[in-house]
Amino acid sequence: MTRMDNVIEVNGLVKSFGTFRAVDGISFEVQRGEVFGILGPNGAGKTTALECVEGLQQPTSGTASVLGMDTQREVRRVKERIGVQLQASGYFDYLTLTEILELFGRFYPRRLAPGELLAKVGLQEKARSTVGKLSGGQKQRFSIAATLVNDPEVVFLDEPTTGLDPQARRNLWELVEQVHAEGRTVVLTTHYMEEAEVLCQRVAVMDRGVIVALDSPLNLVRRLPSPYRIRLQSRSPLPMEGLRALPTVREVARGGDGTYLLQAGDAASTVSALVEWARAHEVSFEQLEVKPATLDEVFLALTGRQLRD
Amino acid sequence: MAVWHLFVANLKMIARDKQALFWALVFPLIFVVVFGLFRLDQPSSAKLTVVDQSQDRVSLALVEGLKGAGVLEIDQSRDLASAREDLAKGQISFVLVIPPGMAQTVAGGATVREPVSLVLLYDQAHVMTIRVQSIVRGVVDRANLLLADAPSFLALTGEPVQARQIRYFDFLLPGFVGMGVMIYAVVGMATILASYRQEKILKRVLATPLSVGKFFVGLVLAHVVLALVQAGIILGAGVLLFHGHVYGNLFWVAVLVMLGNIVFLSLGFIVGSFAESSQAANGIGNAVTMPMMFFSGVFFSSDSLPAVMRVVVKYLPLTPLLEALRGVALDAKPLWDFPTQIAILLAWVAVTAVVAVRVFRFS
Repeated sequence: MTRMDNVIEVNGLVKSFGTFRAVDGISFEVQRGEVFGILGPNGAGKTTALECVEGLQQPTSGTASVLGMDTQREVRRVKERIGVQLQASGYFDYLTLTEILELFGRFYPRRLAPGELLAKVGLQEKARSTVGKLSGGQKQRFSIAATLVNDPEVVFLDEPTTGLDPQARRNLWELVEQVHAEGRTVVLTTHYMEEAEVLCQRVAVMDRGVIVALDSPLNLVRRLPSPYRIRLQSRSPLPMEGLRALPTVREVARGGDGTYLLQAGDAASTVSALVEWARAHEVSFEQLEVKPATLDEVFLALTGRQLRD
Repeated sequence: MAVWHLFVANLKMIARDKQALFWALVFPLIFVVVFGLFRLDQPSSAKLTVVDQSQDRVSLALVEGLKGAGVLEIDQSRDLASAREDLAKGQISFVLVIPPGMAQTVAGGATVREPVSLVLLYDQAHVMTIRVQSIVRGVVDRANLLLADAPSFLALTGEPVQARQIRYFDFLLPGFVGMGVMIYAVVGMATILASYRQEKILKRVLATPLSVGKFFVGLVLAHVVLALVQAGIILGAGVLLFHGHVYGNLFWVAVLVMLGNIVFLSLGFIVGSFAESSQAANGIGNAVTMPMMFFSGVFFSSDSLPAVMRVVVKYLPLTPLLEALRGVALDAKPLWDFPTQIAILLAWVAVTAVVAVRVFRFS
């Protein structure tokens, strides 16, 4: 059943290399206008899954369709309407940015002008430079410009911010938001949970070739047994048992500087009980901070392993 | 249309790649200049030292005869021992010893039983040895006839028929064309392919609707044009700067350059598919081309190789290319005079194309 607002449908996708199943039967849909994230550690199968959807690799079994077209049987028509940014791919060394965009545009029936594309990513001044003269962040921005050369409806970004410094990463996030705001559907892979939280409406968490969870970042966090983190600081030492006895609190940890970190199932009831408990025991807090858990912790809870490299 | 734009873009990339231009143009030009500056052909004269122990009218007439023969520069010496010594040291190459008593012997007329022995001492290694010997023998024979007052029944007039004199440098020029086309096509294509794969440019192109075939057609066309420019510059420099000669039809030369270029690009493609990096591709490419450069007859005819090697070398792609190039450029023969060479080249095109398609990989 194809729903009109699904631009991507993946069903039971498997990709094996010999006996190794890089993608081991995944299914998901991406809706029009969505920013969809595939989150997972290196080697989880994110890139392979993405390349099967883009028509760059042939799945061993299962199907993928983009804009209602099968990515195997109608691969050329699919490629005409999508934009693909590969993880860390290069461009011709001896052509200027304008020349590269001009050339790539010729591969498509429909194309945007190089000047317009460079303006979108803020690289007008570099129009006559070669890729080798760009900084890491500029290279990634140029690579997004090249992805938009055919004015695509769906844009695939494979780890767009890997290896960038925090400032360049934030710039690129703004750019992704802008691409999204132009009405394009964006599918990106990342192993930075913060990136997925900031950019994505929905996230598929992948590990060892399978999707272990798929939901909005907020819902993924809410599904944790203790989705809230309460941090407090006190001058005098606090009894750990007293904190542990508070409602919905599952774990208490003591940090340096008299800080305590509580994992709680519910923010409101725990905080009010905490305040009452403090008043009754005549202790005071320097600081009280309530935050939701992160996707990092979601990943840890789902797989028992850390998301980091 | 995409192929045309790829072709133009590839030409631009080649023109901006200084390293590629060095290997394609400067490297073969260095050979043209070096070999153009040295005098590689047989010298047109040789020095003959005459030790005249007679010093009479007959011996003097003989020396005059030698001087009149052209080619020889005559140097007189009185001391046989020091002349022999100079010859042994290699300072001089030819010594003619005229024994004493020439006039007396000749005066004896018909009663002479034994001829006077003139001795030519020579350096066996000298390139002119055979010529000098024959000139001296000719002069001595003529002197005999004159002295015997014999009538001439036969006369020989030499008439040079072959207008073109092929010098060693002329022989080398087509060799440099073949060498330049080979090295750049193999090494250039191998490094380009390996770096495109390494930098994921191939995969990036695969993500567009462009067919892979069109991508490579654009790349190959640009390299074929470069090969023609290369051949033009090598031949142009040789002819204009160093007085080399190309006697044949340049159109056939161009056809051969393109055919050879396709074979070598295909070889480069195979090397580039196997090599893990562009540096490795460069090394393997050189390893493939160097033996051909030496054995396939760029500098010397491969006919001088041992028989077993000759059989192998005959089928290396550079050998038939150079044979056909020389035949067309130097002997002014038409292309169809080289069916074997062209068949070997076409076989290479077919085999390498099949292998290239099989070993090609995107990543």
